[in-house]
Amino acid sequence: MASNLGALYQDLIQTFRSQPSDLKKVGVLLAQLKVGLIQAGLLIPQPGVNPQDLVIAREILEIGAFWSIRTKDIPSFDRYFSQLQTFYNDYRGLLPESPREYPIRGLNLIRLLTQNRIADFHTTLESLPLRADNPFIAHPMNLERWLMEGSYSKVWNAREEAPAEEYKFFVDSLMGTIRNEIASCEETAYDSLPLKDAATLLFFKSQPELVAFAQKRGWQVDLTGGIISFAKKGEEKIEIPKEKLIAANLSYARELEQIV
Amino acid sequence: MADVEMKPAEDHKDDGEKVEEAPKKIPPTPAAEIKSNIALIERAVSTLEPRFTHRVLRNLNALRKRLDDAALREAIDGVYPSESSVKKQLLNWLPAASTSDTSMDIDTSATPAAKPPQQDPVPEAEVYIRLLIIHHLLTDKATYAKALELSNETTEKIHAYNRRSLDPISAKVWYAVERAYEFNDKLAEARPFFLAAHRTASLRHDDETQASLINRLLRSYLQYNLYEQADKLVSKTTFPSSAANSQHARYHYYLGRIRAVQLNYSDAHANLQQAIRRAPSATIAPGFYQAVHKLSVVVELLMGDIPDRGLFRYPVLEKALVGYFEIVKAVRTGSLSQFQTTLAKYASQFEADKTYTLIARLRQNVIKTGIRRLSLSYSRISLRDICVKLHLDSEEDAEYIVGKAIRDGVIEGRIVHEKGWMECGGQKSGYGPEVSEVFTRRISYCLELHNQSVKAMRYPLNAHRKELAAAEGAREREKELAKEIQEGGDLDDDDGGLGDGF
Repeated sequence: MASNLGALYQDLIQTFRSQPSDLKKVGVLLAQLKVGLIQAGLLIPQPGVNPQDLVIAREILEIGAFWSIRTKDIPSFDRYFSQLQTFYNDYRGLLPESPREYPIRGLNLIRLLTQNRIADFHTTLESLPLRADNPFIAHPMNLERWLMEGSYSKVWNAREEAPAEEYKFFVDSLMGTIRNEIASCEETAYDSLPLKDAATLLFFKSQPELVAFAQKRGWQVDLTGGIISFAKKGEEKIEIPKEKLIAANLSYARELEQIV
Repeated sequence: MADVEMKPAEDHKDDGEKVEEAPKKIPPTPAAEIKSNIALIERAVSTLEPRFTHRVLRNLNALRKRLDDAALREAIDGVYPSESSVKKQLLNWLPAASTSDTSMDIDTSATPAAKPPQQDPVPEAEVYIRLLIIHHLLTDKATYAKALELSNETTEKIHAYNRRSLDPISAKVWYAVERAYEFNDKLAEARPFFLAAHRTASLRHDDETQASLINRLLRSYLQYNLYEQADKLVSKTTFPSSAANSQHARYHYYLGRIRAVQLNYSDAHANLQQAIRRAPSATIAPGFYQAVHKLSVVVELLMGDIPDRGLFRYPVLEKALVGYFEIVKAVRTGSLSQFQTTLAKYASQFEADKTYTLIARLRQNVIKTGIRRLSLSYSRISLRDICVKLHLDSEEDAEYIVGKAIRDGVIEGRIVHEKGWMECGGQKSGYGPEVSEVFTRRISYCLELHNQSVKAMRYPLNAHRKELAAAEGAREREKELAKEIQEGGDLDDDDGGLGDGF
């Protein structure tokens, strides 16, 4: 590994560890390091590379992943994570396990959850070797379970129990997700709802917030009566699909003709 | 692991078709059988009729179990001329033996009049013998490494020969190659190898090898839980429709597994049903049958259906599905506590079957079933009672959960928040356009089946001539019969006369 890359790497570690870390500088360093990694053939590992160098390359990418979350740049996190997957999956036997592996995997799970990509969430989860006993993985797993069964209040309460600092960056978007979920449940499950209760159900602290949200969803808010009423969706009319039935019957007739 | 249990199944897989052939040729020794098989292969190559090769491969599994060193050596001796270089290569793979007595014995008894062959048989025969040797080497732990070496060499050979008549055999060879890699714990390493071979097979329109290799690859991905890669493979390849039933069964099983993980339960269910239909019968391949049913029970539960009670009484399944039966009971009654205890009790079994995470997802279904039961039996129930009956943690949770159930269409009802209760509405009637849709689907399945079977009929060449001759003969016989009847008529008359006389 080239010496200037080593120096940059040391620099990156120090900047990243210092409290509070200088996000801008980390970003600049990361960009330089990535170029360096490509030149050294480490960004996408080639066979026959020194494992020690790979560990360092992995660490740089891990820092990149954390940095993306701190700067709230989700697509960038996505990229870093895809690059890391090679290190985590294919080089599992070659490299010592990284202490940051599970936090990052957990973060990826939460990301999938907040984007409501449940199928991807499960596919990813299935490919993880060890599960429930790892706090970083258990947290998103619990969140998913609660979301699926509808225990939204548990999700709300769990937002403070995140196992790593970075998990909290996802809390806001997660809350947005569950608020929308709850809202769509309320639309169908209730005829009307007192403003005060609606606020508690949706975890709003103040009425204006609720009113703004209600307007966005197109609810009728009766401020004087303190009641939200939900517009009824008209019952769908059941229509007999005539054409489809005729076509089906004709095709049966044709097939029967062929058989007999 | 599910895959371990798959193995006995795979071993047995083709036996189903074998059964009907078995009675015809019980006696031949393995060596004699190999020889006759090679004769068939030669015929297949010379007449360009892959049918004969298929016949040979069909009894591969039965033959495999009866192989030993001596039989193989004898077969090679009998098939190749003594100076053949191929023969030496092949014999190298077998332990240089205390041969003489045993092979002599069999030789005299089995093929007394066999004259020594003058030239090497076709390369297909060589590959076939190699395949047998690999299978034989895989029966003993000590020779696993050797089997791997041989399978590598064999695949290279297949590549070098590049003969289309080799395709059916090479499809089987890939299976043996996979087993060799797996027993040597190197399944992951075989992947690039399989991928390259699959590409070649697709380019050559070698359907059977393609099918076999797609299954190999899926298997190896799923073994390492690489569902994403497996899914990508499925979306990028087309499974040849002309592949054998057993390959189809496996493919559908793997596909069902992938779809189930992706929460696409209805697709998963359809695929598993296909796998069950295409698999050989339960008594022949119990391992596969059980593995598919385990998964299909879970998927059915996830879809919100309850599997048939009769399924769990089926002799082959009864023991294997005990844990699953308990889970079904818990889901059916909608009891969360019973579900949790069952899950904990059978956790290790489920984990071994790789269904644990799927079953863990059932938790929400248990709750939904519980709510549905309540909504059916009460027209109005307080959230507090729901909470107590379903063992939920708080009333607040209950309200959200019921709300979600209503939105998801599990129940019809309303929540009256001020009074803290749920009012349940009437149920929708079960009749509508959906019924006719299901009906259409079934009819079209039957029609498709009929058409497929018509297409699958085979008419051997020139067979109609024989029929013509037979028809001629029949006409002849008819004439004779007519004559006899006439004469017989007289007899009858005599009888009649006799009768009259009485």
